[in-house]
Amino acid sequence: MQRRRFLQGTGLLAAGQILPISLVELAFAEAGQNFAFAYISDSHIQHIKGSQFVRNWDRGLIRAVAETNLLSPKPDFIVFGGDLAQLGSKEELDHGAEMLSALKGKVHHVMGEHDYYLDLGEYWSRLFGPHYYSFDHKGVHFVVLNSILTDDDWIYRRWPTPQQRMAEMAGLDNPNGSPFMVGEKQRQWLKDDLAKLDRTTPLVVFSHSPLQKIYKGWNFWTEDAEEVQNLLKDFRKVTVLYGHVHQIQYNRIGAISFNSVMATAWPWPYPTAYAQAGEVHLPKLTVPMNRADPFFERDATGWQFIDMASGNVDLHYTLYENRSRVVRFNPQTGQPEDSVYQTESARMAPQNHY
Amino acid sequence: MYTLFPPDLRARIAARFHRRHLISALIILLLLFLWPALGLVDPLGLPPVPIPPDNPQTEAKIALGKKLFEDVRFSSTGKVSCATCHDPAKSFTDSPLKVSEGIDKLTGTRNAPTVVNAAYLTSQFWDGRSPSLEDQALHPFLNPVEMGLPNHDPIVKIARTDPEYAKAFKEVFGKSGDQVTMKEVTQAIAGFERTVLAGDSPFDRWYFGGEKSALEPAQVRGFQVFVGQGRCVSCHVVEQTQALFTDNRFHNIGVGINAIQSQVPALAGAFLEAKAKGANVDIAVLTDKKTSELGRFAVTSQFDDLGGFKTPTLRNIALTAPYMHDGSLASLRDVVNHYDNGGAAKAGNKVNDFLSGGIRPLGLSDAQKDDLVAFLLSLTSPQYAAPTQPAAAPKKK
Amino acid sequence: MNATKSSTLAVMLLAATGAFADEFTAADEQRWMQEFMTVQQEGRKLWTSPELGTNGVACAQCHPNAANTHPETYPKFQKQLGKVVALWEMVNWCLRNPLQGKPLAADDPKMTALLSYATYERRGVKLEPGKH
Repeated sequence: MQRRRFLQGTGLLAAGQILPISLVELAFAEAGQNFAFAYISDSHIQHIKGSQFVRNWDRGLIRAVAETNLLSPKPDFIVFGGDLAQLGSKEELDHGAEMLSALKGKVHHVMGEHDYYLDLGEYWSRLFGPHYYSFDHKGVHFVVLNSILTDDDWIYRRWPTPQQRMAEMAGLDNPNGSPFMVGEKQRQWLKDDLAKLDRTTPLVVFSHSPLQKIYKGWNFWTEDAEEVQNLLKDFRKVTVLYGHVHQIQYNRIGAISFNSVMATAWPWPYPTAYAQAGEVHLPKLTVPMNRADPFFERDATGWQFIDMASGNVDLHYTLYENRSRVVRFNPQTGQPEDSVYQTESARMAPQNHY
Repeated sequence: MYTLFPPDLRARIAARFHRRHLISALIILLLLFLWPALGLVDPLGLPPVPIPPDNPQTEAKIALGKKLFEDVRFSSTGKVSCATCHDPAKSFTDSPLKVSEGIDKLTGTRNAPTVVNAAYLTSQFWDGRSPSLEDQALHPFLNPVEMGLPNHDPIVKIARTDPEYAKAFKEVFGKSGDQVTMKEVTQAIAGFERTVLAGDSPFDRWYFGGEKSALEPAQVRGFQVFVGQGRCVSCHVVEQTQALFTDNRFHNIGVGINAIQSQVPALAGAFLEAKAKGANVDIAVLTDKKTSELGRFAVTSQFDDLGGFKTPTLRNIALTAPYMHDGSLASLRDVVNHYDNGGAAKAGNKVNDFLSGGIRPLGLSDAQKDDLVAFLLSLTSPQYAAPTQPAAAPKKK
Repeated sequence: MNATKSSTLAVMLLAATGAFADEFTAADEQRWMQEFMTVQQEGRKLWTSPELGTNGVACAQCHPNAANTHPETYPKFQKQLGKVVALWEMVNWCLRNPLQGKPLAADDPKMTALLSYATYERRGVKLEPGKH
């Protein structure tokens, strides 16, 4: 059954436009999978000194929180997708948590590397809870992974201080970094967690790293992506939502849909725009976000809300200074597609990244 | 003109030129005089005026449009015309009014934008709810706090039956009687508005005309602030060969909305529900101050447009005080302070959550602010610099 | 020594030292490239440094490996500056705005280093001046 929007004929609702959900009638094949949740990610709150934080990133999170609170009816819950802080300090996590506290609703947190590598997530846990976990909601099984781990040697023995370790991981293009992974322990936990489920249960995985191998130079990468994907592949409806990349990406591998979420802080170039990148596996399916005008500090940043339509994910990107985008799961083709720009002839100039 | 030449000169001219050459020359001279009136010359610093193909300019259309623009009969009280709020003597605004006064001095919620150079805008009204000059002209007639007419019928009736109008519409459009509709009325008004242009300011002469002495040193320094630390140029566009001073986009810069921050969620929701039920946006935004603060959101329903208003041109800005969509900033210095504070009228006030990403505290010194204001004063075009005739007296019929 | 003999001697001396203006050796090329790489590497350090501005933000935060700076498109019309500029002017825009710092002179060694790094990371891409 298709989703229906009753205002479509009146011209008030154009493709990709966001209206409070109360004005949108949702129809689903199976009752109980009829809900929406909001997703805010990658705020990178950065401490300067004293009570001073980088204003640009603060404003991004403030705006995302304020707009999320405008959704009506309220989303069922909100996810924060990781990298709340920039260098994982207590000041940054506290300042970020304070801004998030204005959200009206339950927030589920995902670990990001910028939160983790200073104290290995200890203070983060005190604020937000376990590093990985799962929960069920209206018949959908949600898994939250800590997918930004790396090998023990790098974590425990490579760097003289925690600050140094955090600083080295903080540089996206730092050759001293180390590839992300979920790791053996969590994969085992995931296997056990999923074993109890029926294969028809819709599955949504929240992860910070892409659970794919896109571009190693910038850690758009999960080293054990294939092993994790193997654990998910038996389910009929699986979506992975990931942060970290600060740009629109979406993909389909086997039966798994992958959707990235926007950052509230700043956009990142597409790895294909790096002339010396070498091997890049940016999914061809992806219609890139618009290139940003750096004068508008919120350009190419945003937040998103996700409709669970029959167990598949429709992702509404709320973009600033740009038209909103919707990446909707197409049941006919079995993959996520942009509702307006998927065909080449429909693209706009700013979607051409070079 | 020929007769003004002395006889021997005339003889020599006649000897050299055939009559038809002379006639051609005279036609060219005539056109050169009429060129500006036809709105076909680009003022220095401005590109060619966009003319829609279905509404070409003619001298007669422009004259008709001017007449319609000034006609007070097109209001319920017979006292309000377009020129009431868009007074040629005040650079086509009603400065110093903060918000405009329509029939019976009823006030709206917004400051009258100038008609000067409105022809270059890609949408009309502070929230861009009108896509063209022609469309824009339709709305104030029907707004209860502007001209207050119940519908356009009284206007069309006058256009058809007033002998001068009947003659003019026949001449301009080849239409008479029932064929004359609001389409022709608004096309004529728009045609007139497309001649209300102003460039050639001291800034234009300095920047595009190469006249090094056209600006004072403070104004030159002010221009450097404008394109540098002031960050003005990104929205108030100046380019290599022209300067529209607007990007034709909508931005929340923290005017008005700052005061109602906590009420925005409720207002936005209520407005969308009303709109879905068919409420008239034009009337809602001009009659309710709080709804007015929603800005462009009222037109597009996009979160990104909350509190967003169109970037106006800065040309003639010295003459159009007070400033902003609600007339809340009295002087140019107040405006500069608002931007320097990062989108708040007073330093330290909380900025609203939906503030444009382009607005941030600027850290300008007092001297830089003085210079910036001095620069803005250089954007006045010569034909508006001196006081001009008052708006045409109301026609008695 | 007469004039002809002294000039001949000069030529022979010059030839002996290999110091003709238009004859540089492979060793020269290598050395000069190394000079450039030193500056380019200094540029990389500045690019990733939180000290370039006043708020701790580094160029590399938004431009990893100097991606999305497009040095091959300069000079071009830059709407944030309202005119056609060369790359160094846009670098200064970034220093002043997102990094909240002070601009550098065009020939400041730091500027040269930054430009060297950004251009080096974009090597091989064809020139397209003016392209947006």
